[in-house]
Amino acid sequence: MSVDITKMRNIGISAHIDSGKTTLTERILFYCQKIHAIHEVRGKDGVGATMDSMELEKERGITIASAATNVTWKEHAINIIDTPGHVDFTIEVERALRVLDGAVLVLCSVGGVQSQSITVDRQLKRYGVPRIAFVNKSDRTGANPYKVCDQLREKLDLNSVMMQVPIGLEEKLEGVIDLIRMKAIYFDGNDGEQIRIEEIPAELQAEADERREMMLDTVSMFSEEIMELMMEEQEIPEDLLHETVRKAVISLELVPVYLGSAYKNKGVQEMMDAVLRYLPAPPDVENKALDLDNNEEEVVLPSDETKPPVALAFKLEDGQYGQLTYIRVYQGIIKKGAELINVRNGRKFKVGRLVRMHSNNMEDITEAPAGDIVALFGIDCASGDTFCDSNLNLSMTSMFVPNAVISLSIKPVDKSASDKMAKALNRFTKEDPTFRTHVDPESNETIISGMGELHLEVYIERMKREYKAEVETGAPQVAYREAISASADFNYTHKKQTGGSGQYGRVAGSMEPLPLDDEKGYEFVNMIKGGAIPTEYIPSCDKGFQTGMEKGSLIGAPVVGVKMTINDGQFHAVDSSDQAFQTAALGAFREAYKKANPCILEPIMKVTVEGPTEFQGNIFGTLNQRRGMIIASNEEGNYCSVEAEVPLSEMFGYSTVLRSSTQGKAEFTMEFAKYGKVPSSVTEELIKKYEEERKAQQK
Amino acid sequence: MVKTELTEKSPLRSLEKAVQGGLGKGNIAVIASKEGVGKTACLVHIATDKLMRNKHVIHVSYANRVDHIVNWYEDIFTEISKKRNLENAMSVHDDIIQNRVIMNFNQKSISVDQVIASIKAMMDNGQLGTDAVIIDGFDFTIGSAEDIKKFKAFAVESDIELWFSDSYPEGADYLDDRGIPVNLIKDLDDLSVVLTLRAEQGLMVLKLVKDHKALVSEDLHLKLDPKTLLIAEA
Ligand SMILES: Nc1nc2c(ncn2[C@@H]2O[C@H](COP(=O)(O)OP(=O)(O)O)[C@@H](O)[C@H]2O)c(=O)[nH]1
Ligand SMILES: [Mg+2]
Repeated sequence: MSVDITKMRNIGISAHIDSGKTTLTERILFYCQKIHAIHEVRGKDGVGATMDSMELEKERGITIASAATNVTWKEHAINIIDTPGHVDFTIEVERALRVLDGAVLVLCSVGGVQSQSITVDRQLKRYGVPRIAFVNKSDRTGANPYKVCDQLREKLDLNSVMMQVPIGLEEKLEGVIDLIRMKAIYFDGNDGEQIRIEEIPAELQAEADERREMMLDTVSMFSEEIMELMMEEQEIPEDLLHETVRKAVISLELVPVYLGSAYKNKGVQEMMDAVLRYLPAPPDVENKALDLDNNEEEVVLPSDETKPPVALAFKLEDGQYGQLTYIRVYQGIIKKGAELINVRNGRKFKVGRLVRMHSNNMEDITEAPAGDIVALFGIDCASGDTFCDSNLNLSMTSMFVPNAVISLSIKPVDKSASDKMAKALNRFTKEDPTFRTHVDPESNETIISGMGELHLEVYIERMKREYKAEVETGAPQVAYREAISASADFNYTHKKQTGGSGQYGRVAGSMEPLPLDDEKGYEFVNMIKGGAIPTEYIPSCDKGFQTGMEKGSLIGAPVVGVKMTINDGQFHAVDSSDQAFQTAALGAFREAYKKANPCILEPIMKVTVEGPTEFQGNIFGTLNQRRGMIIASNEEGNYCSVEAEVPLSEMFGYSTVLRSSTQGKAEFTMEFAKYGKVPSSVTEELIKKYEEERKAQQK
Repeated sequence: MVKTELTEKSPLRSLEKAVQGGLGKGNIAVIASKEGVGKTACLVHIATDKLMRNKHVIHVSYANRVDHIVNWYEDIFTEISKKRNLENAMSVHDDIIQNRVIMNFNQKSISVDQVIASIKAMMDNGQLGTDAVIIDGFDFTIGSAEDIKKFKAFAVESDIELWFSDSYPEGADYLDDRGIPVNLIKDLDDLSVVLTLRAEQGLMVLKLVKDHKALVSEDLHLKLDPKTLLIAEA
């Protein structure tokens, strides 16, 4: 069966926690007749909603996974991509937003636009994702869809417009009036699956007329034809309205608002019709890749089936049958049996099994065209990898992976936990290139490192929930570095010539700082003339210096940005050896290091705080108290966003402080910006702490 | 050259001399000109000069992207430090930007009360010890005389210098017969220093039209270097 790509929609469902995203998704799957019973979220039957595959998500009520589910609605294939709503999972969020072409913004009819609606909407805006809105829970006491529509305008600056009028509200919600057809729509049957279309009830006619007028006013802004027809008081064809709304939605200029109750089975099908009508098909959206042969320059990928294939692996899943890799095809066709290349490591592989994931089964397919979302079996890869025709060198994501800025030791409680932990770590490092793990050679502890406190916390939780690996964790450690701020000379002799075979070596030269943003971090220059140190021992000097780089003498952190030059030395015909020169070089490094004004560097985060203007003084204050440097504040309406650079070490527990000083109305994101010099008062503290720890260890 | 020496030799010192020792805290200055002539560059130069003298500056702008403003500062700083061979340019730069905050208002219609409240919030909680506030892009045709009085009161109360720009469309005849920019006539009492910037034989010349108490009409021996956009001796 070939796929008609214009009849495909890749959508995400975005919502504030508890607005009913899971319930709504469940209903959609049901109406598409892919599942045959509706399980209530956290329901009595203990089955749970189909999309909530992860235990952790159930517990926290947040969505971390981004699996894709394929359903069919009125001859259209819809891929529903589960979008994480949480701000801190930047990599996950970005990948999910990458692969979807449109979104349904779910709002609670009582709660309206809530803090997370603001976050997800901002993300959708950043990625230019067209959206429609669904005001859920219209059966709740206090439901007011009109108010929610106004909030979309005021708080999110969206050109929102009601496309429906509720028939009854709160517990009396019966159905909706469609303002385009001007008909009443009821949802009969046990699960609201039977749609009944009637005339508008007389008592609602006036309200419906008024709301239609408002809808036409808004929509006519996008079509002169409609405007003229309105002026001439003529009939406006439905098709013209649909076409106009579709264009305005795709160009991000209009957000049509639907209403209903997922729980009471009202309005879901109408909203799905709107997904088909107004959200873009893959060819309606422009996608870009980075050309790795041309300095990561952006290139547009036409979703043209005749071009060589390009696809992004956006999600890995461990299934019963091994590793499943979800991909979105951006160009060409991915065919079973075809050979592709993984751009990240240049490895070629053959496409084995190719499947489409439905909510309760999978379907083997032979090919997937540009725009489609499918899964591959048994491919060894990491999430975020790009697969291409072997003649292309394009990447869907930047290859740049930032250094970890925070680390944590973890210890399995017993042997069985230890095996499970290893399995989990293996998986996580594949999913997320910014999550790393290594074993500390001194303490023999497993250290995990990543981009922030919460980043690591989530993986520890997942380890417990998904892999049942009980681990004990140490306190989070900021990844400090050491560097020098001046040049210094060295002339060091290592001598041990008493009894047995002796050791002898002398090295002389200079140590100089490299610019902090220098990628190399270490440079070795040999200026020895006349064989003062024999050639065979030159690499020994290099090695000795590098040993010195591993641990600075201030707080034992890795040293960065040093250039070592040797220009003189001495050897002994019998007592010199590789080891002797390594030791001499290490001694020389330490001697020079002391004189070269060593300093400590710490990770500085770029922090963005957003919240209502009334709290901006408090926001400024919380940043200022954390050695933060406020760079800018942006005010828009009564919302402000403040940008600052703050040392990571000062950011622990910031979310609690921010919440309490802004009544929970502000939120923040942070990402690594650069390494910066630690001020002298803090340096002293760090050195003191390091020395105390060392003493404690020696005891 | 070291930092202090550099600021002592700055052409801005002659600007200060011309206006009797500088603008002074509690006062407002305005630089008026046609669009795209270099007011922002002038303001950024003035701000950078203050930063180099260890003062704290808030730069307010309207609907300008923050990264554009940052670029202005970077460019002007690079020019100054290159021209005068500043020692330790990198570390001077890193030091002084700690004392600069950019505040951007994405909306022309935002009320003056709101703007002042926001700047105050920044001065009380974010950037303690602010010496000067630069306000670029304020629309004097919308701002009423009342609004300017509020700014004046704010400058006095907070003990800061306020530097504004006042912009006119290309081709507009914007000076009255005394040489006063027309948008500013209503506010003259509250403005201590008014400067205009005009093109003359390929040079941008700074002219002083109000100097504290008195109305004057004096071409300063200062111009805007067309290449670097720095204020320079003519
Ligand atoms: N009254 C009412 N409750 C609903 C509706 N939709 C969902 N709920 C309930 O709201 C709670 C949260 O729903 P859930 O689907 O888990 O929200 P999610 O966090 O957005 O995934 C559950 O107890 C649902 O039963 C609705 O339309 N009306
Ligand atoms: Mg959920």
